[in-house]
Amino acid sequence: MTAFIIRRIFWTIPVILLVIFMTFVLMRQIAGNPFRQTERAVPEAIQRNLEEKYGLDKPWYMQYLLYVRGVATFDLGPSLVLRNRTVNDIVKDHFPNSIQLGGLAFLFAVVFGIPLGVIAALRHNSSVDYGAMAFANVGFAVPNFLLGTLLIYLFAIRWGDTFGLPTSGWATWKHKVLPVIALGTGPMAIFARIVRGTMLETLQQDYVRTAKAKGLRWRRVVLVHVLRNSLIPVVTAAGPLLGFIVTGSFVVELIFGIPGIGRYYVTAVQARDYSVVMGVTVLLAIIIIVANLVVDILYGILDPRTREART
Amino acid sequence: MAVNPSQEAVRGAPGEPRSAGAPVRQSSLWRDAWRRYVKNRGAVAAALVFFLLLLYCFAVPGFWKIPGIWTSLRDVDPYQIDFPNAYASPSLAHPFGTDNFGRDLFARTALGGQISIAIGFGATLAILLIGVVYGAISGFAGGKLDNGMMRFLDALYGLPYLPFAIITLAIVGVVNFWTMVVALSIASWFTAARIVRGQIITLKQNDYVRAARAVGARWYRVLGRHLLPNTLGVLIIAIFLELPGVILGEAFLSFIGLGINPPDASWGSMAQDGRDAYRRAPHIIIVPSIAIATLVLCANFIADGLRDALDPRTRES
Repeated sequence: MTAFIIRRIFWTIPVILLVIFMTFVLMRQIAGNPFRQTERAVPEAIQRNLEEKYGLDKPWYMQYLLYVRGVATFDLGPSLVLRNRTVNDIVKDHFPNSIQLGGLAFLFAVVFGIPLGVIAALRHNSSVDYGAMAFANVGFAVPNFLLGTLLIYLFAIRWGDTFGLPTSGWATWKHKVLPVIALGTGPMAIFARIVRGTMLETLQQDYVRTAKAKGLRWRRVVLVHVLRNSLIPVVTAAGPLLGFIVTGSFVVELIFGIPGIGRYYVTAVQARDYSVVMGVTVLLAIIIIVANLVVDILYGILDPRTREART
Repeated sequence: MAVNPSQEAVRGAPGEPRSAGAPVRQSSLWRDAWRRYVKNRGAVAAALVFFLLLLYCFAVPGFWKIPGIWTSLRDVDPYQIDFPNAYASPSLAHPFGTDNFGRDLFARTALGGQISIAIGFGATLAILLIGVVYGAISGFAGGKLDNGMMRFLDALYGLPYLPFAIITLAIVGVVNFWTMVVALSIASWFTAARIVRGQIITLKQNDYVRAARAVGARWYRVLGRHLLPNTLGVLIIAIFLELPGVILGEAFLSFIGLGINPPDASWGSMAQDGRDAYRRAPHIIIVPSIAIATLVLCANFIADGLRDALDPRTRES
């Protein structure tokens, strides 16, 4: 097990380096230079000084190495457009909102998605099952910009007086209800579908039949034998779901006017703020990579059968 | 005993007559799959709706160009601006209403659908192509190379594609069909590669692969003749597994203003138009969103049906 964990951790380092490299190469291809925009034309000498200050005059591999060193020391460099701010400042300002939004949406998905899947599986092929799965299928298919807009329209405008929910912003808990539902419904549907599938599979297992034959109460069979074993494969879905939530947050932050990192990212791309775009991309990638690492290790701990196959 | 038997001789040699070769078995596999698929009512309904949606998108704008009977049916130009009629609710003249420029949404949703669906299938095929190449190399080579390639995928698994799609579009600076396909496939092929690799590894254990090797078939023949054709089943399933994500991805990009440029439309860019007017005319965002939802829903059901039909071993009992 230790060997598996060490090897798995070891493998993430070259992958992170490669992801930084890929982002770095991509960013260098973008046409234009933040200091050579016409509306902010500056004398040649100042331009050269600026490029020197930000290291843009060095060969590409030096820039890459300097950048990797920066990432390793949690310094993502200065913003190229907002002169007196660093990428770290921007991340500090916007990222907590996004983490809160994503975290609450994830929680929403777990709290409502898992019971939905469990109930559907226990009442297999009943109207409850069909209803839950119809809900899950629609929940996955409806794009979150429609869901978000409908939620605003219904609960903040048409019945705004009854519910008192605002249309946009991120100040109080009232601001957070609608965005969290808009972002969390898709992952909730995915959770429900996965849990239902694994539950149905577990219910067929011999040990469940044995437990039932022993005369255990059905509730105990479900809670101890079925649920625990069914939730293990669900852990593996957590990594991809995180990516799903990150993607969704770009749209949801835009709709609800939330000052998060996704909304800022789009403006930074348009303003050609290389360092912000790179910093945020690398940060998101590292978070996902580390989340995958944790999921894999957790899976190895929860399900000993996978350890040997993977070491 | 022949010292160096040619492949033809070997194929004909073992007990069974030659007619029991690959083609016959394959046709019965597909016929079985068809029978199983037709039994799944949800999947059949989804396929029907999917077909109708394709028919609507690709036939409606075409009808008014064909002279004759169709011209009278719906002679509406999706680019025709008509300000006095802007924001009109659905009516007989405009079954889906009009948008903020007074353009007919019935014709425009079809036009947007063409672009969305074309990008969707284009990017899906690109994803599968990369996935097949990567997965086949990894699964076929095995050993250290396979190990390294898979660890790489393990770590990248679940990486959000949107930032990379945005950067790609920023680099190219032009938004059209091809750049959208590249942007949407550049960081989305990891799952496809895993599926293909898994399939290749399973297939490699089969006796017929060992037999082919034993009679001296070269690696490219084993791969091209025995392994890759047998991944076709999972690839067909994968088309409909990947399609929803790609369609939604295109919609997201267009919705945040980085997608298809006006006056052309995709369902995502139409939803973005509707977003600005959702209080006054909610149908402008609802119509294209429902089109997206229908397509995604159908693709999911078709994928489920195909999985049951083509890969019965994984079927829930």
